[in-house]
Amino acid sequence: MPRSAPAVLLILMVGAVLAFAAVSHLVYRFEANQRVRGYKLYGRGLDDVHNGKLDDAIEAFRAALTCDPGNGQYQLSLARALRDTGNPTRLDEAESYLQSLWQRAPQDGPVNLALGRLAARRGNVEDAVRYYHNAMYGVWNSDSSANRRKARLELIEFLLQKNARAQAQSEIIALTASLPPNPALHLEAANFFFDVEDYLDAFLEYEQTLHLDHTDAAAMTGAGKASYLMGHYRTAEKFLEQAVRANPQDAQSRQLLDTATLVLQADPFVRRISDAERNRRLVAAFQQAGKRLDSCEQVQTAKSGAAVLPLTQLTQQWTAMKANLPRLRSPGETDLPDAIMDLVFQIEQQTASWCGSPQGMDEALFLISRDRESADQ
Amino acid sequence: MKEERSQTTSTGVEREVPVRSHSAPTRVSSADGKSAVRGAFRRTIALFEEVFDEERFFLLLSVFIGIFSGLAVVCFRLAIDWTHLAVLGPLPQAHSWRMFVAPTVAGLIVAALVLHVFPATRGSGVNQTKAALYIFNGYIPFRTAVGKFICSALAIGAGHSLGPEDPSLQIGASLASALGRRVQLSREKLRLMAPVGAAAGLAAAFNAPISAVLFVIEEVIGRWSAGILGSVVLSAVSSVVIVRGLLGSEPLFRIPVTTFKRPAELIAYAILGIVGGIAAVIFAKGIGYLRPKLKALPRWTQYFQPGIAGLLIGLIGYLGFPQVMSAGYNFMDQAMHGQYTWQILAILAALKILATTLSFVSGTPGGMFAPALFVGAMLGGAVGDLERILFPTLASSTGTYVLVGMGVLFAGFLRVPLTSVFMVLEVSGNYEIIVPVIVANTFAYVISRSLEPIPIFDLLTRQDGLVLPSLEEVRDKPVLLVEDAMLPAPAVILSASDFVDAAARRAANSTQIIFPVRMQPTGWSTISSDLIQRLLNEGKGENTIGSLMPTQQLPTLYPDLSLDNALRYVNQFPIVPVINRADPQKLEGLISRDSVFARYQASEGEE
Repeated sequence: MPRSAPAVLLILMVGAVLAFAAVSHLVYRFEANQRVRGYKLYGRGLDDVHNGKLDDAIEAFRAALTCDPGNGQYQLSLARALRDTGNPTRLDEAESYLQSLWQRAPQDGPVNLALGRLAARRGNVEDAVRYYHNAMYGVWNSDSSANRRKARLELIEFLLQKNARAQAQSEIIALTASLPPNPALHLEAANFFFDVEDYLDAFLEYEQTLHLDHTDAAAMTGAGKASYLMGHYRTAEKFLEQAVRANPQDAQSRQLLDTATLVLQADPFVRRISDAERNRRLVAAFQQAGKRLDSCEQVQTAKSGAAVLPLTQLTQQWTAMKANLPRLRSPGETDLPDAIMDLVFQIEQQTASWCGSPQGMDEALFLISRDRESADQ
Repeated sequence: MKEERSQTTSTGVEREVPVRSHSAPTRVSSADGKSAVRGAFRRTIALFEEVFDEERFFLLLSVFIGIFSGLAVVCFRLAIDWTHLAVLGPLPQAHSWRMFVAPTVAGLIVAALVLHVFPATRGSGVNQTKAALYIFNGYIPFRTAVGKFICSALAIGAGHSLGPEDPSLQIGASLASALGRRVQLSREKLRLMAPVGAAAGLAAAFNAPISAVLFVIEEVIGRWSAGILGSVVLSAVSSVVIVRGLLGSEPLFRIPVTTFKRPAELIAYAILGIVGGIAAVIFAKGIGYLRPKLKALPRWTQYFQPGIAGLLIGLIGYLGFPQVMSAGYNFMDQAMHGQYTWQILAILAALKILATTLSFVSGTPGGMFAPALFVGAMLGGAVGDLERILFPTLASSTGTYVLVGMGVLFAGFLRVPLTSVFMVLEVSGNYEIIVPVIVANTFAYVISRSLEPIPIFDLLTRQDGLVLPSLEEVRDKPVLLVEDAMLPAPAVILSASDFVDAAARRAANSTQIIFPVRMQPTGWSTISSDLIQRLLNEGKGENTIGSLMPTQQLPTLYPDLSLDNALRYVNQFPIVPVINRADPQKLEGLISRDSVFARYQASEGEE
């Protein structure tokens, strides 16, 4: 070995250090340029996403990633774009990007949210709940409470879509526990409660919304509807009146208001009315039920060409009961009002099943009968 | 007070090393001080030179080869990326004029460079490295590294359907060769520099040190040689460390979840292996057929061949398949994640075979590693998706098929079965798919070997008029062992403790002329019947044979050794004992010159 080994190794070491420094510098410069180029492409991709051009955005994000392969933000945006195309084959690729990001930072809020949305798009309830929860309790660089709330709201929407009402209800309860005094948010929570048929909590949230913004017509309508559905017609009437006043074009509220008013006017069991008024309501209800029965029976007979037995029986009962009406004034006839109203309720329920949903006074009587039935139970 | 001491290096060069005595003067003048420092320096150098014999020096040099190769490959990758960005832009789109202009112009420039400036840079570089090892004593001109760097970066960056791995291998080998010459290594070591550099270059390019080491052993060295293994591993690992340090340790692909659940799935992978084997044969035959045809055309056509190849490849890209251009790693990644239908995957595999054949046979410098992976990936995805449609219970995820497919083409096209398995494992980092990979690769390898007996690299070498050894050749060739030529152990075996008169009596009853003697405590020797008789006549009948025999013992052989080992001894000794490995005192048989030559002659007749 003619060359001195130590001297050669020394020279090689110095050479290696110098070459390493030079190449490092070269790599640094190249990567810096690439990052700038990648950032521009990323910006282009974001514009494409904004303009709904998802395929172009995907290409731009891909190109951005070729310039800056380790950039998590680009990967996240690409994954989101892939996911949002709705193409099932692209969901796999989106997931692989997100999973690799998740493995790097399992506590990352945006990544978990994206994974949650992906699972939701796939209809996978278990994964969606897991990732949305991770997002709610994960790390967010900015506006963490709003982002966490957003994640929970999305989860609730997803659970409602999947008809998982019990899970959704618990999420809504958790949501309302941390809501800031923002009427829009309370209104959203109230609507969610309404969707899971938790009318009491929905009503309370609508009230809270109105407390924060007493001009919110949607909250008035919501509170009215929730009260109406709970059978609290007096309260429903109050809120629905406000809603109709605030928005006279709101036909549904107006209709509900009319029905609620009719219920209040027609209900013979309501407290604090005189005996004469109660008797008047009983007679009016009886007459209305008779008319409804008569018209329904005529329609059904014409349709089928023969008498419909349950309706015929009810007609017979109605005729028999009519003979008893004058006894209402007698003080000893305490069971007669209940017997009359029982027949009215039977007629309204039977005609509803034979001749479709009742309208106006018949609807009011139907609601009274239903509420009374549930009260009895 | 100076002493002179002689030192012999491993190469046999004797030199005088000055060594000072350790007694230091109590007071020294300025001149004395300088000479003391100089002396200390020399002593340190001498000490180091004692430590660094050529073997150790070679090992350390391997690390530096790895470092320099790694740095060169990093620059090479940057050059490819930069060229790609400059000529095709960051977002290559089909139907853009750049798609066919860039590879055409790059092809014309590359052709001129190859013909006039860098003539040794044509093709992949694997064969050239192998030729350097076996023919040119490890010599690869440094200019080759420069040429390979420039031409390959230009061609691949501009969209030619070639990969950066084989050029990286040659760049590494060329750097190593230049370094070896510079430090004046012995011829034996210099010859080994090429594979050491090749492993470093390939490992850096592929970010997979184990596969690189195996590939160099399977394809470049062509035989299993423990002597060089340490250096190859050191250089490969150090180059990968450099590349990961500078470019990050991101894998080439985002590996999807790969699964292997039921043994029945192996049927699906076997089908993939068969399809891959056939595709590999088509690929290899296409190159093998067209390459000599184009080389035989007049020299002036060589100025245009890479340009025309570039134009055709560019047209493929322009017409809607830009994926086939360049190495295509990002598209393999997309295939792995189910971005293409099976029809598109099949078309891409076919077009890539066509595009790579065009690029390669035109003499454009560039590698076939990446194209083989690409074809395998697309084919794997296509077969996997199709199987899933036809037999939903049999097939697993597309990503798994794409990964296995890569290995299939490696095994079938490059004919490196071991590398193919480890490459997939290294790239995927998932050992769960080892069984599918082995099954598919075995089918591909066997089918490819039966349909095309000569591996692609050997074929290219032969077309260039060279004959180089290959591991596949070694696999085919029956290895003759000592036991094949061994004569049975003789009836009479003497022992060193036998008395001469007793030995004479046994010899008299035997037809043997030479008797093996079991020496004490170990070893073997021989004694002739004449010598026994003479000793008896000299009145030494009551002496033991051992006390009268020379102390030098015979060499011994084991039955499982290659018969070549026997050649060293058969001219020197009339018989050589073949002993049992577990019991050296047990004689399995004898080897003689006649028995060895007779076996070799019989073997030639068999061939």
